[in-house]
Amino acid sequence: MSRIVTFVGVVLILVTIGIPIYWPLKTSLSPPEEVWEVGIPKNPTLSNYIDILSSEIPKGRMSEVVGTFTVVSPSALNPLKNSILVATVTVALTLIVSSIAAYNLARFSYRGKRFVSLFVLFAYIFPPFILMAPLMFILSKIGALNNLIALSFVHLAYTVPFSTYMLRGYFLSVPRDLDEAAYVDGCSRLQVFRKIIMPLALPGLVTVAVFSFVMSWGDVVFSLVVLQTGENFTLPLYASSYLWGWEITDPGGLSALAVIAGMIPVILFLSIQKFVRMGLLAGAVKA
Amino acid sequence: MPTGLSPTFVGLENYKEILGLPELYVSLQRTFTYAFIAVLIKAVFGLGVALLLNQEFRGRGFLRGIAIIPYALPPFICAILFWFVYDYRGTGNIILETFGLNSIHWLGYDHAMFSVILVNVWHGWPFFFLGFLVGLQAIPVELYESAVVDGASSIQKFRHITLPLLKPVFFIVCGLSLMWTMGDFVIPWFMTGGGPLDATLTIPIASYKLAFLTRLDIPLASVYNVTVLPVYLLLIYYIVKKLEVGT
Repeated sequence: MSRIVTFVGVVLILVTIGIPIYWPLKTSLSPPEEVWEVGIPKNPTLSNYIDILSSEIPKGRMSEVVGTFTVVSPSALNPLKNSILVATVTVALTLIVSSIAAYNLARFSYRGKRFVSLFVLFAYIFPPFILMAPLMFILSKIGALNNLIALSFVHLAYTVPFSTYMLRGYFLSVPRDLDEAAYVDGCSRLQVFRKIIMPLALPGLVTVAVFSFVMSWGDVVFSLVVLQTGENFTLPLYASSYLWGWEITDPGGLSALAVIAGMIPVILFLSIQKFVRMGLLAGAVKA
Repeated sequence: MPTGLSPTFVGLENYKEILGLPELYVSLQRTFTYAFIAVLIKAVFGLGVALLLNQEFRGRGFLRGIAIIPYALPPFICAILFWFVYDYRGTGNIILETFGLNSIHWLGYDHAMFSVILVNVWHGWPFFFLGFLVGLQAIPVELYESAVVDGASSIQKFRHITLPLLKPVFFIVCGLSLMWTMGDFVIPWFMTGGGPLDATLTIPIASYKLAFLTRLDIPLASVYNVTVLPVYLLLIYYIVKKLEVGT
């Protein structure tokens, strides 16, 4: 009896996860005339991937697919590069800022520290959409609109509170005795931080890096405000150009784009699977 | 670029305008519908999967890995996946037809809210699964063993051991998810853009539209944000209090 329940449950999970993923996977390997057919592609082809990643999309093929509309879209190569740049810079900045902030919360005690830790939590759950209008105002004042590096700095609003909160937990798990021993041996505070705490918290740093990368990779809210011209678009903004009046213009290209853009976060998450469970709740659940 | 005129002091004019704006009331109602239904479904499904994958069987580790894929995919990718499901020729209608039902316009006025909720549920349930799994694993096995000795049935064990001990995790996970679902901009934006006819106009979408699309009026949008802020602040207050106990 319980084996049947388990089996049915497992099938249900696989079907639920599988259905939305299967279609773009299949479509990305199909030639244009088969994109809306069910089943596995009869003439599998990689041309969708090659087309969106080559520097120019053959216009004939696009207009064929779209029918009456001719949508000339530049390739996905440039948005892909932009997304990688923004996410990488975000990860680097996040690691620097949040490790120092977390060290502060884990090792110092001062008046008002409780308020600071609560404020980090507050920033972690604060809904980012409220920041859109003020962000526009601030960035236009300092002339940083439409700048990819500025976008990385803006992404710190997502990544730093979360990373600080999580790294604090990892730093706290490093015994203070180790610090003391190093101080006795004549290490400075900075040396203790660099040579003892950071290496021991390495799993935490890797997890934080992955989460920050994926948060930045998937950001739409801030990219919509900051990025204004096509050559600076990141993947999410570029993906909208595959819709024409809410109709998909190039299913093959769009699905190839979704596979490429989705593969990276999935691989990153699965490779640190062990830590993801702790990471998601940021050490909050001690039940 | 809508930088507009230099700011002039208008007193409470903007507040007067925002309270007379139908978008305010529509968006509040849509947001509560969206968030509460989505969180309810996610919680039930996530709990089910967590209970299932807490059982011992072959392939459990593999399934636990697979189960985080929807959460690992950023929301905009999930939205793209569901563009294919909701297309008139897409997976959704193919499934309806195999069950002998008529095709529907998934993102039409009548079904849009339900369809957008479904995308959010598909993306968000693994968060509940992971949270509940951590909670389940923290329950000592001895409790179940002694319950068996006392002759408890599995339903009784679930009712009197699992549920009460899962309660703290349950409130944190639901609170966080409720917050994020109420602040979710990406999924409604990519699926419908708030339409058709404001059917999925949640608060984040309404705020964006006031500032950057329909009104191009950043001060008005800010006033709108301030007006809805108490809803979010109350929730944040509740969650931070719960989280602080945990640390």
